[in-house]
Amino acid sequence: MTPVLEIAGLDKRFGGIVVADGIDLTLNPGRVVGLIGPNGAGKTSLFNLISGVFPSDAGTIRLDGQRLDGLAMHRRASLGLARTWQNLRLFPSLSVLDNLMVGPRRYLGDRLLRLALDPAGVRAQEAGTRRRAEEVLERTRLSGVAATPAADLTFGQQKLVGVARALMNDARCLLLDEPMAGVEGQAYEIMQQVVREVAEGGVAVCVVEHNVAFIRDLCDEGVFMFAGKVLARGPVADLIADPRLTELYFGT
Amino acid sequence: MDYLITLAIMIGLSVALASSFNLIIGYAGLVSIAHPVFYAIGAYVSALLARDLGLPVPLAMLCGALAAAAASAAVALPSLRVSGDYLLIASIGFQLGVLEAIKNVSVTGGAGGLTNIPAFLVQDGGKGAYAALVIAFAALTVWLNWRIAHGPYGRALSAMRDDETAFAGLGRNAVAMKVAVFAFGSGIAGLAGALYAHYFRFVTPEQFEILQSAALLTMVVVGGVRTTWGPVLGAVLLQALPQAITFVDLPPAILGPLQGLLFTGLVLVFMVLRPQGLIAAGEAWQPAKKYSAKTRGEA
Amino acid sequence: MLTFDILAQVLWTSLATSAPLVLFAVAFALVLKVNRIFNFAQAGVMTVAFYAAHSAVSMAGLPGWVGCPLALAASAGASALLERVGFRPLRRRRATPMFIFIFTLIVSELIAYLAMLVFGTWPTTVFPSLFWPVTLVGNVAISAWDGPAIGAMLVSLALLFTYLRRARTGRFMIAVADNPDLAELYGIEKDRVYLATVVIAGLLVGVGMCLYGARAQVQPTTSIELMLFAVAATIIGGIGNLWGAALTAVALGVVQNASVLFIPAEWQGFLLYVFLFLAIVFLPNGIRLPERKRGLARRVASVDLGDPAPDPAPARREA
Repeated sequence: MTPVLEIAGLDKRFGGIVVADGIDLTLNPGRVVGLIGPNGAGKTSLFNLISGVFPSDAGTIRLDGQRLDGLAMHRRASLGLARTWQNLRLFPSLSVLDNLMVGPRRYLGDRLLRLALDPAGVRAQEAGTRRRAEEVLERTRLSGVAATPAADLTFGQQKLVGVARALMNDARCLLLDEPMAGVEGQAYEIMQQVVREVAEGGVAVCVVEHNVAFIRDLCDEGVFMFAGKVLARGPVADLIADPRLTELYFGT
Repeated sequence: MDYLITLAIMIGLSVALASSFNLIIGYAGLVSIAHPVFYAIGAYVSALLARDLGLPVPLAMLCGALAAAAASAAVALPSLRVSGDYLLIASIGFQLGVLEAIKNVSVTGGAGGLTNIPAFLVQDGGKGAYAALVIAFAALTVWLNWRIAHGPYGRALSAMRDDETAFAGLGRNAVAMKVAVFAFGSGIAGLAGALYAHYFRFVTPEQFEILQSAALLTMVVVGGVRTTWGPVLGAVLLQALPQAITFVDLPPAILGPLQGLLFTGLVLVFMVLRPQGLIAAGEAWQPAKKYSAKTRGEA
Repeated sequence: MLTFDILAQVLWTSLATSAPLVLFAVAFALVLKVNRIFNFAQAGVMTVAFYAAHSAVSMAGLPGWVGCPLALAASAGASALLERVGFRPLRRRRATPMFIFIFTLIVSELIAYLAMLVFGTWPTTVFPSLFWPVTLVGNVAISAWDGPAIGAMLVSLALLFTYLRRARTGRFMIAVADNPDLAELYGIEKDRVYLATVVIAGLLVGVGMCLYGARAQVQPTTSIELMLFAVAATIIGGIGNLWGAALTAVALGVVQNASVLFIPAEWQGFLLYVFLFLAIVFLPNGIRLPERKRGLARRVASVDLGDPAPDPAPARREA
């Protein structure tokens, strides 16, 4: 099995703070990997390094063999990398449907020249994007709120919109940053189901999550991070059972 | 009659300027005040090409617009790579620098201004035809503005203003979009400048100073930033109102500052009491009908 | 042709003439650093200061030692008014930086127009005469204005430096500049600090304007040009770095004046914009001075390390 995402020797420090210290990590198609570790272990920072929020100091990141490190954030996304954000980062001035419509990997509507010269092509692509967005909304059971401004939804629904927007990329690799934090009830079930379906479609998924139950139910594998390092990788149950890691997690 | 035609032309040009400026500072959220300098570039390039190189006026006008667009991209690209604040500084520096250069170069006529600019259309079609051309141009600008703001591009701009990081994380190139909007809006300003030059046949650098920036800002802010009709209303009001004062018999040494005082005072009153302008933009992005989520059943 | 004497003369004169420019630059940089406002209304405050001095000395015939304090009072008062009536309500309303910037620009133009209406557009001065006696030191002519101007500039900067280091409010200003939210958590009243900053900037500008107006003619639009020089110095000197802005103002002043030797005088003004533009393209973070290391580390520490990690509730940890 060829890995989708390959990270080798990734380093990043801000002044004296080390957020990534020689990280090696591979993500395989169809597998869900849970990233666990205490706050400040560098989990979200790792996502930020992969997606290009800030550049890494050293090391390589490959997506399907293609180098991502050094590329701008939008270039990485257009190569098939999608992510969600811990604090949502939805577009409050857009409806739920429009939030999704900004998300496809190819979006002809953001080129003025294209709009002027090929309006029919843009319209056709818009129609395709709309159908796809409606499909995704169906899957995430958000169809009923498609026209509602994203800011007016419940927190759980907003989390789902965040994931749905990321799904619009048809990404090869999906990074989910705390998808379950603050999510309860029906949204919880939907979230689990959606992530599973996405993985079954052959996408490499990586989840940062503090909800251990969610990680255990969903992830094929766990990766334990501490102080910018990957300390262990293996079945989630084993990682949870390891007294050494538990001690690091909860601190002493 | 002539007076009214000239007023109509001035209003038309202001509408085009305010509308395109709104695209830049409103919809794209770019902080710049340098719109007048692109107006000036369009005027000077077109005037010089037609007068000294004998280019047909329509072609010269097009070159003026393209020159303004190219110049604006050259200003925006390096500064936007750093951060939004730098665009403001870069644009001010560019505006004052270009005007300083125009004042000191002989080919532009220096501070005294550029004279003998070839006329266009007026000798064949009369002033009325020119006014019709300018008004058609203004209407086209407003329509393009509306199309851009309420179509897929406007949706993307709205998302970009909301959260640029998330926007980039979806694969959208925010810098490219900003530069494109800036260049497009400045190109419109350049064309407006060319239309000005070949009608009045005389331009001076002082027409494009910071005062003109303030006037344009006033039109957009008082009218209503990020709306289609706000800048139009602002432009009409602010072109027409000072004309009313000219009827009062005052010496020019007092009239000029008094007009300026009214302009700036009016903006300040609006900024404090009604920051959203005469026409308020809604919080939410409004798609054109065919893109609306509510009509998705028909799609 | 380019003798040592000419060089020395040009250097000295430009050094002396840069004294008020340094004060304008430091004032602009200070408000940008603490209040985070590109305060173009500084030009308006400069106009107020100048015409206050002008009406007191030139028009009412009061002596200079009365007129200059009056000018200082006027510029401090105008600054305080600006903060209380303008910046504070805008801050409360969470106006965008763009909005606040437009506000400052419009205010400075409003004041320029007011000055035109009241005082006319003719260039005027603080003292009835611009003539200052000249002494020759070696072959370099030194005007009686030069020494006091440089002295006043240095004293003002020294006072500012001491105030920032020693006074309570001064230290609060640095704290707010570093991290306004954190400063508020520690019980620093931001509004008072912002007010103090604007008033101090107004005083600096007042001193600068008295110096400038004693030597050169001023008209209502002059201060906008002077302020743009301050903006350029602030950017090239590194945003948030007061002493960098001061040094850059001196350097820019010297280069601009010395350029008379090499390029036609009418292009002198143009040079400033060339510098400004080059600075933005090539030195977006300003010239790094060694002493900025500390500032740099501080800035890095406040870099957003991804999304701020909220403490997960213990209940969820055990879930």
